[in-house]
Amino acid sequence: METQAPDLGQEVFETLKYIIDPEVGINIVDLGLVYSVSLEEDQLTVELTLTTSGCPMGSTIVTATEQILLKRFPNLEVKVELVWSPMWSPDMITEEGLQQLNKK
Amino acid sequence: MNAATTSNSPGKWVVLPHYAFAALAFIALSVLLLFSTDAFSGHYFHPKLLTLTHVAVLGWATMIIFGALYQLLPVVLEGRLYSERLALYTFGLLGTGTILLAYAFWNFEVGWVMHLAACCLFVSFLLFNMNVIQTARKAPRWTIEADFIVTSAIWLLITGLVGLLMAVNFSMPFLPEDHMHYLKLHAHMGMAGWFLLLIIGVGAKLIPMFLLAHVHSTKKLNWSYNLINGGLVLFVFDHMVLRLGLLTLCAALVAGGVVLFLLYVQEAKQTMLRKDVDLGMKQTFVALGLLALPLVLVLVVSANLDLPQALMSSVYLVYGITVFLGFITALILGQTYKTLPFIVWMHAYEDHVGRFKTPLPKDLYSQNLLRWQNISYLLGLALLMGGVLLQQQEIILAGAIGFTVTATLYMINVFQLLLHKAHNLKPFTYGNAST
Repeated sequence: METQAPDLGQEVFETLKYIIDPEVGINIVDLGLVYSVSLEEDQLTVELTLTTSGCPMGSTIVTATEQILLKRFPNLEVKVELVWSPMWSPDMITEEGLQQLNKK
Repeated sequence: MNAATTSNSPGKWVVLPHYAFAALAFIALSVLLLFSTDAFSGHYFHPKLLTLTHVAVLGWATMIIFGALYQLLPVVLEGRLYSERLALYTFGLLGTGTILLAYAFWNFEVGWVMHLAACCLFVSFLLFNMNVIQTARKAPRWTIEADFIVTSAIWLLITGLVGLLMAVNFSMPFLPEDHMHYLKLHAHMGMAGWFLLLIIGVGAKLIPMFLLAHVHSTKKLNWSYNLINGGLVLFVFDHMVLRLGLLTLCAALVAGGVVLFLLYVQEAKQTMLRKDVDLGMKQTFVALGLLALPLVLVLVVSANLDLPQALMSSVYLVYGITVFLGFITALILGQTYKTLPFIVWMHAYEDHVGRFKTPLPKDLYSQNLLRWQNISYLLGLALLMGGVLLQQQEIILAGAIGFTVTATLYMINVFQLLLHKAHNLKPFTYGNAST
């Protein structure tokens, strides 16, 4: 059974905001790519998606997510899973993400 | 899913040499244009014009499209490129064939150099087709974009075959009709079959992606595909077999297909979340606007209007210019900045993301040079078209200077990107990520 850890979850989301999608120029959290964060014992699992299947950024985003979380939470095991359901659409961009887009 | 299985991108040595060659070809094209102002006063079957056209379509446009496609095919078809080795052979043959063909046309040497060039190009297109079709066969999902891309590759192969037959026919005549008959076939299969279908197929995927738009229905694209291919197949049969003079109908079918694609793009624009469009996309929209010119002109040249011969010759020339130096060149000048910076960025920074602060792809080249490149291009194109229509060599020369400035600015930016290396990266210090 996976347990959601609210404080940790918030911290994970804040950390993942350091990863910027190079094409769009906004972070992957506000772009709506991070679907869920869960903690089971000492394993931190992050489910994320890509803007399109076949996206050339796939491995870069997955590796970056693993690296940044391992550095931020050295006592946890980090598992990043790519998921395709629900399929990402521009409607998933957060309000903050839209503001960042319009600021550019 | 393991990270290692999520990237289908080919190695940078498969993609980047195409961009370098194309930038050099664009410079060569502009310089040749400076020395060809006298060639625009008559018929389009002129050694200098044939040279310019083939440097433009092969060394510049096809070369960069091949390179970009090796990067984009895995995105569109959701799988790895079938063979990177085949891609390298294709590059070598296309480059060699283009240089030899340009030499043969400029000096109008129709012997073995031209035969060898045509053979290199045909084999290059054959290998390219093998790579595209084998990659497409493994695609997990078949889409209309894949239809456009695969069909365009097949039209390229047929265009190359007709070109090869014409090259041999120059010195060993065996074709039943005169050269102009096959040249029309060769040119239109290349323009509508290869470039147009390919651009629509890739554009249908990339334009909504770059605009952060969501177009729900592909009905317009399906009909666009049917109309363009229907028009082209009818044109080939009419030109070679039926001989009913259905050129206007064929042109109208192709034009209808293009209009449907433009409506699809308009739908994407209406739903886009990205309101501030960058210079690369602005230039892309300029290219799509310029597409109106050849669409109108193809109807003019196919309608058998009773115009003076000299004016008709100029209209034919302007028609060719609007396709190769107008629509296709404008699109490449814009889309280079949507693809190349990203590819360079990915190879330079993919191992550093999440550990260090990295620049964005748009920071890797000069926006200022890009702005001036777009301005000088539009000026150059307008002057060149005006000069050809008015039959004024000085204006044509001014247009050629505009293109040379454009090509120089473009090359500086492209080589700045190609030579970019990651340096002085600073590690993250965690605080407020939004700042």
